[in-house]
Amino acid sequence: MRKIKKRWTLLVSLSMLASLLAGCGGSNNGAAEKNNPATSGGNASPSVSEATATKEPLKKVKLTWYLVGDTHKDMDKVMAEWNKMLEKDLNTTVDLKFTTWNDWQTKYNLLLTSGEKIDLIFASSWADFYKLSKQGAFLDLKDLLPEYALETWGNVPKDDWGSVTVSGGIFAVPNTNPEYTPSGYVYREDWRKELGLSEFSDLNSIEAYMDAVKTKKHVTPINGMVYDNVNVLFKSWNDFQMIGGNELIAATSYDTPRDIQIVPFTDKYEAWVKKMKEWADKGYWNKNSLSSKQEAGDFIKTGQGAIYWRNPSSAGGFINEVKSKNLNMEISYFPFTRFHNYVLPTLPSSNAMAIPKSSDNPERSLMVLDKLRNDPAYFDLMTYGIEGKHWAKGKDTKTIVIPAPGVDLNVTPRFDIASWGWRYEPNMLKEEGGWDGLDKLKEEFKPISKPDIFGPIYMDYDPVKTELAAVNQVFEQYGKPLMLGLTSDVDASLKTYRDKLKSAGIEKLLSYVQEQSNQYFDEKGIQ
Amino acid sequence: MSGKGGIIRELRQSKTLLLMIAPTILFFIVFSYIPMIGVYYAFTKFDFDGGLFGSQFVGMENFNFLLKTGVLWNLTKNTVLYNLAFILLGNIMQIICAVFLAQLSGKLFKKTAQSLMFLPYFLSWVLVGAFVYNLFSDLGVVNSVLKQIGLHSYDFYLHTAPWKFIIVFFSVWKGLGYGTVIYLAAIMAISDEYYEAAKIDGATIFQQIRNITLPLLKPTFILLILFSLGGIMKGQFDLFYQIIGSNGMLYDATDIIDTYVFRSLTVNFDIGMGTAAGLYQSFFGFALIMIVNFIIRKTNKDYSLF
Repeated sequence: MRKIKKRWTLLVSLSMLASLLAGCGGSNNGAAEKNNPATSGGNASPSVSEATATKEPLKKVKLTWYLVGDTHKDMDKVMAEWNKMLEKDLNTTVDLKFTTWNDWQTKYNLLLTSGEKIDLIFASSWADFYKLSKQGAFLDLKDLLPEYALETWGNVPKDDWGSVTVSGGIFAVPNTNPEYTPSGYVYREDWRKELGLSEFSDLNSIEAYMDAVKTKKHVTPINGMVYDNVNVLFKSWNDFQMIGGNELIAATSYDTPRDIQIVPFTDKYEAWVKKMKEWADKGYWNKNSLSSKQEAGDFIKTGQGAIYWRNPSSAGGFINEVKSKNLNMEISYFPFTRFHNYVLPTLPSSNAMAIPKSSDNPERSLMVLDKLRNDPAYFDLMTYGIEGKHWAKGKDTKTIVIPAPGVDLNVTPRFDIASWGWRYEPNMLKEEGGWDGLDKLKEEFKPISKPDIFGPIYMDYDPVKTELAAVNQVFEQYGKPLMLGLTSDVDASLKTYRDKLKSAGIEKLLSYVQEQSNQYFDEKGIQ
Repeated sequence: MSGKGGIIRELRQSKTLLLMIAPTILFFIVFSYIPMIGVYYAFTKFDFDGGLFGSQFVGMENFNFLLKTGVLWNLTKNTVLYNLAFILLGNIMQIICAVFLAQLSGKLFKKTAQSLMFLPYFLSWVLVGAFVYNLFSDLGVVNSVLKQIGLHSYDFYLHTAPWKFIIVFFSVWKGLGYGTVIYLAAIMAISDEYYEAAKIDGATIFQQIRNITLPLLKPTFILLILFSLGGIMKGQFDLFYQIIGSNGMLYDATDIIDTYVFRSLTVNFDIGMGTAAGLYQSFFGFALIMIVNFIIRKTNKDYSLF
């Protein structure tokens, strides 16, 4: 009884304080806080309590959140601490669940279709966000946002909201952390120096490197799962811009967006697969690479591989890990943007958080998300883990040290759950002593950045879904082995591949993609 | 005796019996018949708002993707032939092992052999998949041995030919212990009097096996075969998925309906198409077992299932 009374008194006094603050310009208060997160870092920030305290006391709610990817072994401890804060501030607890990376896409889709009660889930353009929104998997947040996530509603740029708008409704809260995520290779730089090879600049230099690694170091350059490693090189080197999350239909270059073709039917593709046959025969990867289930990067760490496909920030993670584990090797990174000297910024919708229709408490879930994004105490805990364990404060308020001093990364691995969906740049912290290449790359990318004119083309595929399903099967069966040069007779298998694609209806798919793309280009005035 | 009155009287007369079978009936209603409503998904264009009955009816459109690439025949053939091989070879091997085990007299050896045979049954296909990969990959055991004895290594993962045997071998190997126990139980149930009489007549062990054990195992054999035939259209998904994975090079010889459907749906998630494929599979399996049962009933009525 006394406890409740105490709470009420607190609430009343808080609301008085809040109205007082509101009187002398509450919005200024919020802005000041954003600029100076360190001062309010330790305790719950007053600006949010202000919003909630003026309303009825919140009733106790338990939310279920889902993220893609793997959990961390200290997740329970992090959540216990997080829920403690959350219970105090919003009378809410969150049960955070993970799909794991193994078959995540199937699980993700099943979670949504089975109607399981989920209050917030990671959403992304690469996880069928647009298709699922169109099918009605997510809740339209347009009216809820200004009321329950006011701060986020205000600090996400208008264009970013546009990228998660599907037929008039806003179906997700995008992250606010502009970055570039082009493809590239991490590779054994020490071997390159040792073998006296020139730096990576084009296909020939990469080929020379792989050749030297294979013949002089007797190491398979790309070990383990190979397909993606080769496919990204293919796309970037030939400047194919895939459209609509499809691996087969692409614009032939950034400058010719309307020249959309079926990739395996092009001469470039033919020349490429012939080259890949040579590479495969020379042993740049294993014959059983399609059946392997190990990442190429894991082989680098054990000295049995040399090349691994990454984007700059995951390359940074990889390099930092190699460093902090004191593996005796030097790793460097080569972004494929240097082939054609331009880079596309990552779409905001590629990392977002959405509320499925099955949610019982969308309002509360939004309130918690708002807090997570904007309150550094919540943000740091969920994004970087427990202070003093997974990280420690760096030399200033914007930097951190990973791991905390005296913590062994082999016992307590980096806290690296899929936090991408709620990232908010002003709250992001930089890792001290980490790989400095990332900042250099950012500088390199800024002047050559071009707007992404392909990513936002929204493809529903509904009118051609039969063709798409059939074409994807053909691609799996014939396209992948061909790309890796595993077939004995390239000409014959290329012919089979093309014939099968045709009978699967790829031409119908092509005209659909062309029609949709041209419609978008017309709208935006792109030639 | 027919009509309403007959049924009610029958119900009243066998009240206790009906009560005893009620849980089983309930089980099948809840877990097999009610979920069958979901078959309707095969004919709709799924959307989250409508759910099962609110979604738009599209007729047979969802079945098109199965026919589009012309692989349906190959898939069906693979599924049926693999299963036939699993069932027949598996049962024959199990009978052979059971007969030999029954003849063994050393108790310790018998128990050990039986346990060792049973062990693979408890391994998951994930593990077996790892075994297979480590045996047959470029640097695997088999290729290392080949190189050691001065032969050329063989790229297993580029040729379809060996996989038919590898897959059948591992399936039989894994189920051997389990099936053997069933047949062993059937052998134990055979009265000793037959064997004693045969011994007095001077029959050798092999004559005993041929003329007593095997004929008496025949009903068990046929029953087990019939039971397995019901699932002949259901491929062993985990087996194929774990051993072959996403290796397109081998699909011609190793793709079954289940793996094909799985791939279609992970790339292009669609409830309608998934259900359509499942429905095709069930329908074909149903037709198959009706035909087989019909044939058996014509030839030997006692052995038919129903």
